Amino acid sequence: MSNINGKVYAMSAVTPMKPWKTIIVRAIFFLLWNLKFLQKDLRDLSFIEFARWVIVPAGKFPHLAASQKQENLKNDYMFFFSNFNGTWNQYIDAFSAVLASGLNLVWRWSDKFPGSVPVTPFKQYIDRVQFTTDYYYTSYPHATANDLKSAHIVQASFDSLAAQAETSSPEQFAAAYRKFVLEVQAHLGDTGQAPIVF
Amino acid sequence: MPNQNGSIYGLSILSPIIDDPSVNPSHDLQIREILATLSTGAESPFAIAPGTHMARFVVLDDVIFVGYPSVEEHLQSKYLILESNLDGDLDTYLRGLIAAAPQQLDAIYNHCVGYPGSSNPRAFVDYMKSCQLETTFLFAAVNDKSLPETLRALQTQRAVSDFIVTHQGTEPARLQSEFAQFAAKLKSLPIPKPASTTMHRELKIGGRNE
Repeated sequence: MSNINGKVYAMSAVTPMKPWKTIIVRAIFFLLWNLKFLQKDLRDLSFIEFARWVIVPAGKFPHLAASQKQENLKNDYMFFFSNFNGTWNQYIDAFSAVLASGLNLVWRWSDKFPGSVPVTPFKQYIDRVQFTTDYYYTSYPHATANDLKSAHIVQASFDSLAAQAETSSPEQFAAAYRKFVLEVQAHLGDTGQAPIVF
Repeated sequence: MPNQNGSIYGLSILSPIIDDPSVNPSHDLQIREILATLSTGAESPFAIAPGTHMARFVVLDDVIFVGYPSVEEHLQSKYLILESNLDGDLDTYLRGLIAAAPQQLDAIYNHCVGYPGSSNPRAFVDYMKSCQLETTFLFAAVNDKSLPETLRALQTQRAVSDFIVTHQGTEPARLQSEFAQFAAKLKSLPIPKPASTTMHRELKIGGRNE
């Protein structure tokens, strides 16, 4: 049982919402999806590999058999699942510092959300609504979001260079190789070991 | 939109766990016991089956009461959450999962209400879809590369670093010849297996200071 695998942390949280507020949250996510520029800060933070929000209306918890007791809930529930790099504190600090307005827009509709600034009550709230991951798998545990982006940049440049390696003269190839090294030099290296966490 | 971001599919499954007071340990505890010892490395069902970037299992005991004036309420059942970020088509993924790891999935999901078992792939897919929640919003840092492409790129990144270091100042003809050999060799290597670099990690809840 661990929230951590390599360099990735699995955060799982659930917050209650009054059903009439769910419509508003859905509209916000609709805008966020269709107006991609609204996601710019989230992308630029570049430490989240995958994240999702899942709204479960009060009557929509799966009921599969008569032997299963029926739920009788008044709240809708919004689940949040994140796969991010760095520590829990770094993650929440960064969001509070950089994405406060975006966080507030999404979570203000959840009951008792204190706002993302100041950060201390925000962290207390997350601590309350977070639950532990029982099993966490990643296919590339040592790669952070930046490692992934860098690896794809290197691969694309490498493929382009390899395509002309056979047909160029040595001098042409050497010039292309220097250009290649300049393109990839900021994206090299081994992903290395995960940090030791005490 | 909801379940898909580029080539990444966000699968969210909520499976009710059997509630039988006569069973000891309870079904949810048995699931936790299995998950505690299930490999997160190359022997994981998600590593053996194709297409999983990241996945988690969570046993949801209850919803959270955040305090007045929010309504205090409780779930009648416990639920097993599966959150997976995968390549492409859902049916193909689920069929691949049950084909690759039937025993591990049976061991987990036999504790869930209505689970049909692994012997009928169609029934398994239908069961998972009956427990599927629509993902409201899915974010992916890289949403246009498959798992094999990602593993290949990480391999290339490491290899290219070494090549550049060892070929500084090499004269052009030799550089070209050795690069061509390097590229051919890299191309011939198999794609690294998923989770093949996983380190063993001691039990860590991932507390608030992690």
